[in-house]
Order: sequence, then C-alpha cells, then structure tokens
Amino acid sequence: MEFLAFLTRRVLWSVLVLFGLSIVIFTIARIVPGDPARMALGPRASADQVAALQQTLGLDRPMWEQYGLFLTGLSQGDLGRSLLTAQSVNVDIARTFPATFELVLCTILLAFILGVPLGVAAARWKDRWPDNLVRALAIFSAVTPTFFLALLLQILAGYVLNILPTTGRLPASMSFNADVTGLLLIDSLIRGRLDVFGEAIRHLILPVIALGAATMGQIARITRASMIDVSRQDYIEAARAFGVPDRLRMFKYMLRPAFVPPLTITGLEFASLIGNAFVVELIFSWPGMASYGIRAITQKDLNAIMGVVMVSGAFFVLVNLLIDVLVGVVDPRVRIRGKRA
Amino acid sequence: MSLGTEQEALSNAWQNWFRFSRNPTAVIGAIIVITGVMLAILAPYITPYPDHVGAVVDFRNRHQPPSADHWFGTDNVGRDIFTRVIFGLRISLLLAVVVLSIAIPVGVILGLLAGYFGGWVEVVIMRITDIALAIPPLVMALAVAAVLSPSLVNSMLAISLLWWTWHTRLIYSITRQLRTQEFVEAAETLGASKAHILFREILPNCVSAIAVKTSLDAGFVILIGAALSFLGLGIQPPTPDLGTMVAQGASFLPDYWWQSVLPGSAILILALGFNLLGDGLRDLFDVEDVR
Amino acid sequence: MTTRFLTTTAAAALAVAFLGAGTASAQNVVTKNTVQIFSSIDPAKISDYTDYMASVNLYDGLVTVDSAGNLVPELAESWVVSDDATSVTFTIRADAHFSDGSPVEAKDVVYSFERLLRINQGPANLFAGVVESGNVVAEDDKTVTFTLSQTFAPFMATVPSLRILNSEVVIENEGDDDGQTFLATNVAGSGPYLLDSWDRGSRMIVKRDPNYYRGWHEGAIDEVRWIVTNDDATVRAMAASGELTMTSPYQSPDTYEALAAMGRFRVDSQPTSTAFYLKLNSQLAPTDDVHIRRAIAFAVDFETVQEVIFPGEHMTTVLPEAGFTAFHNGDVEGPSFDLERAAAEVALSSYAGEPIPITLAHVAGTLFQEEIALMLQAHLEMLGFVVTQQTDPWNRVTEIAGSVETTPNVNQIFFGPTYPSPDSMFFTQYHSDAAGTWASMEWLQDPEVDALIDAARATGDVDEQAEIYKELQVRLDEHMVSVPLLAQTIQHAMDDCLIGFEAVPMMSFDYDFSRYTWTC
Repeated sequence: MEFLAFLTRRVLWSVLVLFGLSIVIFTIARIVPGDPARMALGPRASADQVAALQQTLGLDRPMWEQYGLFLTGLSQGDLGRSLLTAQSVNVDIARTFPATFELVLCTILLAFILGVPLGVAAARWKDRWPDNLVRALAIFSAVTPTFFLALLLQILAGYVLNILPTTGRLPASMSFNADVTGLLLIDSLIRGRLDVFGEAIRHLILPVIALGAATMGQIARITRASMIDVSRQDYIEAARAFGVPDRLRMFKYMLRPAFVPPLTITGLEFASLIGNAFVVELIFSWPGMASYGIRAITQKDLNAIMGVVMVSGAFFVLVNLLIDVLVGVVDPRVRIRGKRA
Repeated sequence: MSLGTEQEALSNAWQNWFRFSRNPTAVIGAIIVITGVMLAILAPYITPYPDHVGAVVDFRNRHQPPSADHWFGTDNVGRDIFTRVIFGLRISLLLAVVVLSIAIPVGVILGLLAGYFGGWVEVVIMRITDIALAIPPLVMALAVAAVLSPSLVNSMLAISLLWWTWHTRLIYSITRQLRTQEFVEAAETLGASKAHILFREILPNCVSAIAVKTSLDAGFVILIGAALSFLGLGIQPPTPDLGTMVAQGASFLPDYWWQSVLPGSAILILALGFNLLGDGLRDLFDVEDVR
Repeated sequence: MTTRFLTTTAAAALAVAFLGAGTASAQNVVTKNTVQIFSSIDPAKISDYTDYMASVNLYDGLVTVDSAGNLVPELAESWVVSDDATSVTFTIRADAHFSDGSPVEAKDVVYSFERLLRINQGPANLFAGVVESGNVVAEDDKTVTFTLSQTFAPFMATVPSLRILNSEVVIENEGDDDGQTFLATNVAGSGPYLLDSWDRGSRMIVKRDPNYYRGWHEGAIDEVRWIVTNDDATVRAMAASGELTMTSPYQSPDTYEALAAMGRFRVDSQPTSTAFYLKLNSQLAPTDDVHIRRAIAFAVDFETVQEVIFPGEHMTTVLPEAGFTAFHNGDVEGPSFDLERAAAEVALSSYAGEPIPITLAHVAGTLFQEEIALMLQAHLEMLGFVVTQQTDPWNRVTEIAGSVETTPNVNQIFFGPTYPSPDSMFFTQYHSDAAGTWASMEWLQDPEVDALIDAARATGDVDEQAEIYKELQVRLDEHMVSVPLLAQTIQHAMDDCLIGFEAVPMMSFDYDFSRYTWTC
C-alpha cells in the first residue's frame, strides 16, 4: 500500500517532467532561424513551392495553436512527420531507436557489472594498489573527452592492431533484418544466426568502451565511497566486534545498503550517457537515433528534433523512475522519505 | 581589525596551505591549472609561430610530423600545431570562465531563495530545476547551439542555459540545512533583513562548497564545450579551438595522427587539472557531498 | 578480389550451416559509399545529386543522357519536334514494361507529369511556365505529346528529369496524399534495379531486375549497395576489409592514395562540367565594386587550389569545357594569380586607402573549402582587407542566399548543369529571374545579360546559340561576379574489376549502374 503510493507519486512526477520538457523543446524548435519548409524542399525549390508546404505543415498558424497540435499529437504518441524523410517521425525513431537502445543498454550493464566489483575491491583494499588503480581509472575516465577516447580506440583497435571493426552494427556485406526486437544480439539468436551474433558483438565492443568508460569509473568511485561509508556504521563495527567473518560481513551486511548510491548515480549518469551517444554514434557510424538526431539538427528538421529530444528525455525519465523503484526495493527507507537524496 | 585576528587568519591560511600541499593530487592539479592559465596568457610570447593563429597558409609544409621545428607537427594548411594548441587553451578557458560566471550567480541565487523561503518559491524553482535536469545536457546544448548559428558565444549560451541547475541544487540543499541553524535564527530574531541573512549569513557558509564545485565544473564545461566544437558548433576558423582541431585532424587518421591526438591530449590534461584541483579542495574543505 | 570472394563464400557457408539451406551463386556486387543520405525516392520530390543517384537506377525516363551530353532513347524509342519547336511527340517502345510486368503506356507519362505539377516539388520547377497542366496528351497507348507554352530551346534537355511512374499501382495506393506516403518507401517504376532495402541514414540496397525491358549485358551488376558515410577513416576501413568496391567522389586526396596503395583499387579521374566558383555578391559592399571583384580574382592561387587542395581542371570562363565544347569561348583569358595586379585593382576601387571589411563564407565541415578560405584570407589581408570568416551548414546556405543583405561577399559554390544545356549554367546563375538562390549568389541584375540568355532560349539554331553563349562569357568575365576556380575532376577509387563510370553533364546520371560492367 505504502509502496503503491510511492510508485504513484513517482509516476505522476515523471509525467509532469515530460510535460515541462515538451514546452522547453517546442520553444527551442520554434526559434530556429531559417525556414523549415524551404530546407525540406531542397535548394532548387521555388517560392510558391515553399509557401504551399508551409501551409500544409501549419507553419503559418499562431504559435500556441502549433503547440496545441504538437501536444495533441504527443499525447497520442504521434511525433508528426519528418520533413526530410517524408515519413512519420515515429517510424524513423522506431527504426533507429533499437540500435541506440542496444548500445546504451550494453554500455550501462557492462559499466555496472564491472564498476561495482571494482569499487568493492577498492574499498576492501583501501589505500592499496587496487584502490589507487580504481581511483586513477575514475579520474581519467571522467576527464577524457568521449570523442577523443572513441578516436583513440579507433586508431588502436581499428588501424594499429586491425582486430575490430570501427563502423556500423554489422559488415555491409552481411544482410540481416532484425525484425523481432530490433536488437541484433537477441534477434540473431532467435533466428539462429550465430554469425550475425558474433559480428554484432565485435561491432559493439569499441563503441561500448568509448561510451561506458566514464560511467564505469563513476560507478566504481561511488561504490567505493559508499562501501567505506557503510563500513564505518555502528552495526558493521558491532558485527566486526562480534567476530562475523570478513567476507560474510562484506557481502551480507554491507553490499546491500552500499548498493543504493551506485544505483542512483547510474540514473544520473544516464543523462550524460545519452548525450555522449550522439558523439559515439557519429564517430562509429552507428545507425541509431542519435545519428538521426544529429542529422535532424543540422538539417533543421523540426519534428525530428523535437521527437529525438523528447524520446531521449522520456528514456532518461523512465530509467530514473525504474531506478527509483529499484532503490525503493533495495532500501525501504526511501519509500517513506519519498524522494532520494 | 585587531592584530590578533589578522595573525589568526594568517596562520589559518598557512594551515590550509600546509594541508593542501600535503595532498599530491591537489598539488598536481593546481600546477596543471596554473601552467595552463599562464600558457594561455603568455601565448603570443612563448609560441614559436604566433602568426599561425590566423590565416596563414604554407601548403608546402602541410602534414609535417612532429619535429624540432614543429613540436606537434603541422596541420593540413601547414600551420604549427603546438602554437595553435597553446592558443586553443585560451578559448577553452574563456568558455569555462564565461559559462561559470553566468551559471554560478544565477544558480546560487535561485538555490538560496528556494532553500531559505521554501513554500511556493521552492516549489517553482526546484520543479523547473528538476525539469531542466531531465534533459540530457549535451542533447540540449546541441539543440540550442544548432538553433542559433554556431559560434563561441552561442556555445557559451547553450551551456550556461543548463549549467545553473547543478548549482541551484547544491546551494538549495545547503541552505535548507542552514536555515534552522542557531546563527540564522539569531539573526532573524535581531530583525536582520532577508538580504542580510541570505548574503551575509548563509552565503559565506556555502563558499567552500561553491569553490569545490567551480573547480570540478570548469573541467566539465571544458569537456562539453570541446564536444560541441567537435560536432562543428564551436568558434569559427581560423581561431584555434581544441575540439575543432581534433575533429579536423580526425579526417587524417591514422596517417597524420598528431593533428587530432595532441590537441585531444591538451583537452584531457586541462580537464584533469581542474578535476584534481577540485578533488584536493574537497578534501581540504571537507565538503563530501559536492561532485 | 580473392578476399572479397572468400568472405562472401565464408558468409554463405555459415548461412548454409545455420539455416540448413540457401543457394550461393556468384554475384556482381558494387558497394559504394555516398556522403549524403537519400532524402527521397519519390520522383516528384527528388531534388539533389544523391536523390537522382537512386532515381536513375529505380526509374526510367522517356529519354536519358550520355556522357557527351546527348539525349538518347530510354522508354521512348523516338521523338518528333514540331517545326516551330513548341510541341514534342514521343513514341514509347512497344516492349517497355514496368517491373511488375504491365506495359508502359502514354497514360503513365501523363499521370507522372500531372502528379509532378500537383505536388509541385523536386523537378516541377523545370517545367513551370513551360508546359502547363493539361498540355501533356496521350495520343494513343504508346504516343504522347507535350505542348509548350512558348518556344523553349532547352526543353528537351529537361525531359530526363521526368521519371515515369506506374500509374495503376500509384492510384491503387493513392491514400489522401497523392501516393506520397506510398512512394516515400516503395518504387513503382520501370528502372533496371529494384529496391531491396533502405535503411535511411545508413544504406540502400538495390537488386537487378532480371526482366528489365532493355535487357542485360554480360557482367552486369547484380546488386548495388550504397553505404552512407562521409568519414574518410570509415571509407578506408571499409576498403581495407574488402567491403568497398567504389568510393564517393568526395574523399580526401589521402584516401585515394591510401586505396590505390592497397592494390585492389585504381583511381579513376575524369573532367566534368561541374564548376567550382567563388560567387561574389555584386550588390553588397565592397564586392559591389568591379575592381574589388577583380582584385579578389587576382588574389586566388589557382595552381595550389587545383593541384593541392581540390583536384580540378583550370577554367578560363564561367562555362566548363567538358560537356560544352561547342559553346566554350576559348578567347577569354580569365583571371590568374597576381598579387601586384590585385593591389592595382584595389587602388582603382572606390574603397582604396582604407581597411576594407569583407566576409568569406564556406560550407561548414568541408575541409578543402576552409583551406581555400584561409588561403584567400591570407592574401586579402596583405591587400588591406579585414576578413571575417563565416561558415554555414549547406541548408543554411540555401536560406541566406534568399536576400542580398544575408548573402556573404564571397561564397564557395559548386554548380553543375541540372539538364544538359548551357542554359542550365547561365539562366540559373546569372538571369535576374533566377535571383535569390544558392546558385545565383552573385545577385547579377544586368538587363543585357538577361536579354542574351532569353535570346538563346528563343532560337532553335545551335550555331546562333553558341555565338550568344560565347558573348555571354565575355560579359561575365568583365563583370567578374563569379571567379571560376576549377572544373571539378571527378575522382573515384574503383575496384579493378569495375568499369563503366563516364561523367554525364546532368545531375548524377553517371551512376546509372545498368551502364557498368564487372570484368572479373
């Protein structure tokens, strides 16, 4: 019951955030200098061709009316038509989102799976070499520009060692239609195409490292800090005094409460992850939503820009909602406080 | 002011300095930052080819690898990359200074107001902050910088537009804790004005947190600015900009690696400096929550 | 070739292993990178170079263009132009059929034309004011007549841009938008290739139609894959892994070099009729002064531009020689690199003796244009100019070209003929009626030039046209509103087994892959 109330509150809040986001995005998209109709028609269009398209798109109507249309569409899950691809933005995003989702999901999972043990190890051997290593890793991964890391990986693994592919999700010569979930790793297994699965993994390695290094570093850092924090708590001291074995103390009594901050940070890190996905997709020619978004931005494809930012925002809000619930499960105190710190 | 307090302040500063200097990462950070700032200021006097900042072309010397004449090699029109990297530091630092001098006052004032007054002021400010935080920063900056045509000023604007939120959050949480402290309540009882309480009583207690955050932030602003200019939304040529140099050099990989790798390393080192310095200050002031 | 064959076989073997079935046959596959996305495959919406590249493979027109700029039969086997040159009657091949097997008939031509005018995008403006709605008439199943509103000499040259739709299929899928939704992702045409898959933004794959009405030659290309990427590093990686068979023409010189060194590729260079200009805004200070414009022309180091920065042939007038040999004026000397003469011209101008502010613009993200801009800035600063650089993304350029005030002083623009006639070069760039586009950033408003262009349009006599066009080149050299930097030499790194690229002076008609052959 109490958990249900907590959940409702969080969901309502998420909806409110998305509503605010829609206003911000609409405002930004409509102060674009330049005429989207002109741009959609290409350089050889005449003036009356442009005027005709402006009317079709409702660009000649007052601003609030345009926002009304946008919001109505949005509430029905319709993001409007892309000027450039001449099809619904929903279709475009549905087509490109799985690639981004696969990249981001693999990154976050890997960052968590590697980051938490690293943090635990650093806390366990505080001020010894594992700790120093983790701290150095955290700092360096945080200050290395993502695009720079991506380029370095391309040079190293793509040219110098020539062991890994540096572009796309699959080799151009491989045709495979991911038509079940859109995720190559899953669809290839469903279809029994182990060759596709293998190639998909090979293509994921470099982008995932480039995108995930910073997140992993942060997760390790926070896990370390939180483990150390928890180890100073009275009940752990008491456990130590009672002679509870090291390992048991570590995993049974410390890890669970220490788990909350890394989980929370994963949610926050997710924002920069989505942002950096734009850079990484560009460098690795990853055919995802961020590539689509970059193109929409340079081509001033308004509906597409709004769609991509809206979906990125919604993705972020949703992941944080999920994490909040997860934190609520791990640490029941949060449900009463209502908000995480 | 009596002699005693002055001496006390001095010894306090001395103590701080002593603690700071015992923290090797902080010292390294400070050295990097100071060196970076000095190099940027003195750029015209210490670089071997100061005129290569502008429109200079020497096509016979294009794509030269690093050598005694050109420590970092030359670029696609034959300009000295070392010179351009040093001058590029100027743009990165300028970006950080401008963004933070917009974002910090705005963020701090809003955080003070929300934290001290509570009620609807708090609700409005903090909800807006939360919404702004729900937008992935680089995506937002991209959208804004693309909407306005690409230039340094617009990049600064785009980053400032979202950066204040982090400071609002930080100052808000500190203020909320301080609001119920005795010294604030005492000032209230004495009938001090709201402005006095906010800026004379509460703000000074936020200074160390702000200092730590500023140092950490400077590094991150430099990184996000570099990402924007890497994507082509930075300052216009021929002014040297580190992110743009990496992007341009990337089209000559791997053969002419120095054109992207060396400017990229410069960004990394500068960001590292601010980060280490921030970490050091955090230990010094013992403000653990700031990140 | 061996590597490519091996990987294909290996992949095929794996496919067989995992699926338990499948046929592996030798296929001639061309994989080419392209730098822009295909924005549309709807024949009523295609507008740029990349769009046409898909269109010439997926659709056929009544006529097409060869490498000399001649019109040659495609769906139409013959055509008759009336004596007063105001109507043209086409006879469609008896065996012409769409990819679904139904015959191509006159009603399809009428439908395609009317739909183009209704939607009023893409190539529609080529026909605006020339052929009105209702003036394309089906005489019988295989005969169709176009009636022109007035004599318009270049009309025939615009016919290849009318791509013929299968009217029955489109009407069936009309929806409420004239079939726009349907044709955005489907093809209803008679072209040599069928759309296989299209992942907008990353790649398009087309496959040979074995039943194509014009038949196939030995070694025909079975499959074409366009991979969208403008990143040189990616192109090199794809070439190294054996995936790539042909590059786009926009790679950096280093990439061509690197590919040639791989042994599997040759670099194919051909002169084209696409010109690269500095377009000077003749209505905006200081480039409103002819002496300033000439000074800029003398400040260009043409040799470095053509040999180091961007490969190209030297041009003396605004009209490239390739594709327009009969119309090119060889007597015009054209500008050359001479800073002393440039200084002398500045001294003659009304801006002499003071710092002259000037804006140099180029397209964002194009490295060679930035190199040219830097070279020009370096030279102009020596002459006392105060230079501002401006970069805009390409679609923003089309926007700022809309008014005199927003058009920068100096613009780097490529312009190639949209239809194989000198009219396409002169009218679109220099006629007052065509002002306000990226192709006419000169803002030349000269009644004499307009009159000459109109006169050439109104005569069917080719010799007379040639005289007029030669006169125009002299005029434009005097005005110096466009500094001809070079005629683009188109370069592709191509697999040694692939032949058939011949530059065509119309859009991207040279990427009609039914003209290509795999020789291995």
